[in-house]
Amino acid sequence: MRKSLLVLALLAVTSTACADTTTPIGSDPTTTTGAPVSAEDCATTNAGALESGGVLTVGTGNPAFPPWWEGGQVEGSEFEFNEPSLGEGYEGAVVAEVADRLGFAFPDAVTFVPVGFNKAFAPGDKPFDFVLQQISYKPQRDEAVDFSESYYDVNQAIVSAEGTSIAGATTVAELRDAKLGAPIGTTSLDVIEDVIQPTQEPEVYDDLALAVQDLKNGSIEGVVVDLPTAFFMAAVQIPKGVVVGQFEASSDEYFAMAFETGSPLVACVDLALQEMKGDGTLDAIAREWLADKTNAPVLG
Amino acid sequence: MSAPREISFPKRTPGLDPPAQGNRGSRILAPLRAEGARGVAIAIVSTVVVFAVVTIAVVSSSGWPLIRQSFFDGAVFAEAFPKIVDKFWRNVFIFTVAEVLVLIVALLIAVIRSLPGPVFFPLRLLAAAYTDLFRAVPTILVIALLGFGAPALAIRGVPSSDVFWAIVALTFVYSAYVAEVYRAGIASIHPSQVASARALGLSRQQGLRSVVLPQAIRRVIPPLLNDFIGLQKDSALVVFLGYQEALRTAQIIQSENFDFTPYVALALVYVVITIPQARFVDWLIARDQRKRQAEATL
Repeated sequence: MRKSLLVLALLAVTSTACADTTTPIGSDPTTTTGAPVSAEDCATTNAGALESGGVLTVGTGNPAFPPWWEGGQVEGSEFEFNEPSLGEGYEGAVVAEVADRLGFAFPDAVTFVPVGFNKAFAPGDKPFDFVLQQISYKPQRDEAVDFSESYYDVNQAIVSAEGTSIAGATTVAELRDAKLGAPIGTTSLDVIEDVIQPTQEPEVYDDLALAVQDLKNGSIEGVVVDLPTAFFMAAVQIPKGVVVGQFEASSDEYFAMAFETGSPLVACVDLALQEMKGDGTLDAIAREWLADKTNAPVLG
Repeated sequence: MSAPREISFPKRTPGLDPPAQGNRGSRILAPLRAEGARGVAIAIVSTVVVFAVVTIAVVSSSGWPLIRQSFFDGAVFAEAFPKIVDKFWRNVFIFTVAEVLVLIVALLIAVIRSLPGPVFFPLRLLAAAYTDLFRAVPTILVIALLGFGAPALAIRGVPSSDVFWAIVALTFVYSAYVAEVYRAGIASIHPSQVASARALGLSRQQGLRSVVLPQAIRRVIPPLLNDFIGLQKDSALVVFLGYQEALRTAQIIQSENFDFTPYVALALVYVVITIPQARFVDWLIARDQRKRQAEATL
């Protein structure tokens, strides 16, 4: 975010001076306090930085999991489970709103591309303007990509099935002796190791479906995931699934969009997110798509 | 019993091949010795030039700073390497146990496939079906199907441990390959040796055990080790079951840092353990050849 502030200041200079857009942003570190820019102005100024001219190219995971994406699959689309261009689900609605505020009419001026988790941060030219797929901001990750501000503050939770030894747990201590699992690439594993400190080594899965299979088999007793995903798993994926509880909020964990390092678009998206936080749009989106998915008992 | 003479393979004509002691080291260096000092000098210059050009081309490419940051990050390497080595012992356990089982199971299958006579047809058919099936299905699918499928049967007493099912799956797949290696070794033993053994009064089993198999196995040691190296690498496929071995450890650190350096660290571990094995096979072959040459001149 420190980087984005610098870029923001530079943008103010370039946009007020009506400088040509080919001037590489960040090449000249002179800063002056300019007038605040709108997200749309920012996007117009930096149109040259777009992956594909005139459209916003957004990457996300495939399958597109609820409740982050909703609306179902569309025939002919390569996306499984849900079609991102419907703009439904929490991330779907956030992208639609951000795109509109940047001046890209949703869904016509927005293209979605499926991005594998590793591809999101592989070095080199990225085939998207930004990617959002429940990626948590981490300072170590900041070297490989640039992150936007938070678009969702994350709480981790544990999901299980009725009949397991931890289904009725109310404290973290009760989870300690259970065999647990978490998907790779998330901060859920950190929660298991740092907060629960289990006596048995956790399993780490490539995707949630595999964790669910092991839960059904009884190989593990619980899966730690972010809270909205926990509700989805308990309701849809796990037979007799239960959200055991959520962990005490760790204030610094949030989902952020990831950009190619040095992308001037970070500042534009940050402006859009700030606008959305200011006028309550982001809260409204959360109420619409996650209202029934954040209310779990906090584990003592 | 005197050591059997080579019948199926005529001795190589001396002079056409590099001398046997040339095989003591690497086959890459052997031709150089024949060339003498001038040859060595040319080889050194050309090697330096080739490596220098490649290095300059890579390092001066516009993407190099990014690559260096993402794949060769010293701090990430220092964090990852000890953790990866620590978890690599789990891979060592998996592939060592699997290899022992593979060598036994594969030999049984190979012997069954080599049984003569119409009575054994059903057994030969089963053995053939086994090798066909497990060479056809990708290893990762066998691991996934057994690792997630077998525990789902919920049969009492059947473990749900990832390590257990990984070892079982790797044993199935690799014993299919290794059985073929053994079979080729058995087939390379000239029938006259079996006939001689029988003429000496050995039973069919005795002939197989003390005449055919010892020669056959010695002949196929290099391909056996080749498959063993393959097995060592495939032990990484157990990650699919969620087990935290070396590759998973590398992936966790990678996703933590958005940095691929842990993969380079793990690759290094594999290189360090495999290359000595390859050299060891070279040494075995050279020793075996010297022995047989000594026998032949008796």
